Amino acid sequence: MILVTGASRGLGRAICERLVARGDSVVGLARKVAGLPFPALECDVADAVQVRAAAKRLRADEFQAGPRHALVNAAGIASMNLALTTPAGVARRIVETNLLGTIHCCQQFGPLLIRHKPARIINFSTIAVALGLKGESVYAASKAGVESFTRVFAREMADFDVTVNCIAPGPIATDLIRGVPKQQIDAVVAQQVIPRQFSPDAVCDLVELLLSPLARSISGEVLHVGGA
Amino acid sequence: MSDIEQQVYSAIASVADNKTARIGPDTELIGEGRLFDSMKLVELCLALEDLGGDLGFDFDWTSDAAMSRSASMFRTAGALAAEFIGQMQRAA
Repeated sequence: MILVTGASRGLGRAICERLVARGDSVVGLARKVAGLPFPALECDVADAVQVRAAAKRLRADEFQAGPRHALVNAAGIASMNLALTTPAGVARRIVETNLLGTIHCCQQFGPLLIRHKPARIINFSTIAVALGLKGESVYAASKAGVESFTRVFAREMADFDVTVNCIAPGPIATDLIRGVPKQQIDAVVAQQVIPRQFSPDAVCDLVELLLSPLARSISGEVLHVGGA
Repeated sequence: MSDIEQQVYSAIASVADNKTARIGPDTELIGEGRLFDSMKLVELCLALEDLGGDLGFDFDWTSDAAMSRSASMFRTAGALAAEFIGQMQRAA
């Protein structure tokens, strides 16, 4: 079974649809799951109690379904703003969802993955970390935490035959960057090694690469979509 | 020694690298003279999860409450058995 957080929209949704199309057994996690065309559980990853409840339910629901076992932590929120004008509540919510949400899911679903090793964990960062993008300080800080967590957690999980990696996309056309002016997006894309805006498909390709047996030796890495 | 306590000790023995170690209430699991490293401790928790499932309850080692007790819970085999039995009784 492959568990994908943030499954209701954006990259999480695209990843679910790609994996389902390939025949994988997928369960999505999202705050709102009504109408999703694949099995899903309602869960706010920022809430450790809800994540634990979801993990408990999955244990009962036979996590072992399907040939591949993985957790894809795609849930994330952003607020493009200067730190000086970001309300404390917004900053807290960004950290709780992006960083703590990733940690909660790794902690609670990690034991399930160990039981079904070899397994994969894929976390999500952003190009804003590598480029230090102005106006994304809180968002970038939360994702820098995810990158650091990924590197260390990869070592902790290596003995259990579970790899842990991070994908760091640039500006992909999803809800997350809706409302960001095109000029601003172009300026970020221009700083990528490959100065082209990629689609969610490119991210799904990287997910598939990391899920593949060919990626068994890759762990603790941050892969930048388009290069950074 | 109760049957459940013995089953916990058997789980400890099955996970331990030192198969000849005699497991008793005072056997240290962590700290100086420890039987387990952190990896083995996780394997032990999974084994106890299985045992709890066989006995009809969820052995909890990942909640805040359980983690905050982990330092004392994993000190000795006896302390772990007591925690396991306590959780089983509370679930009944």
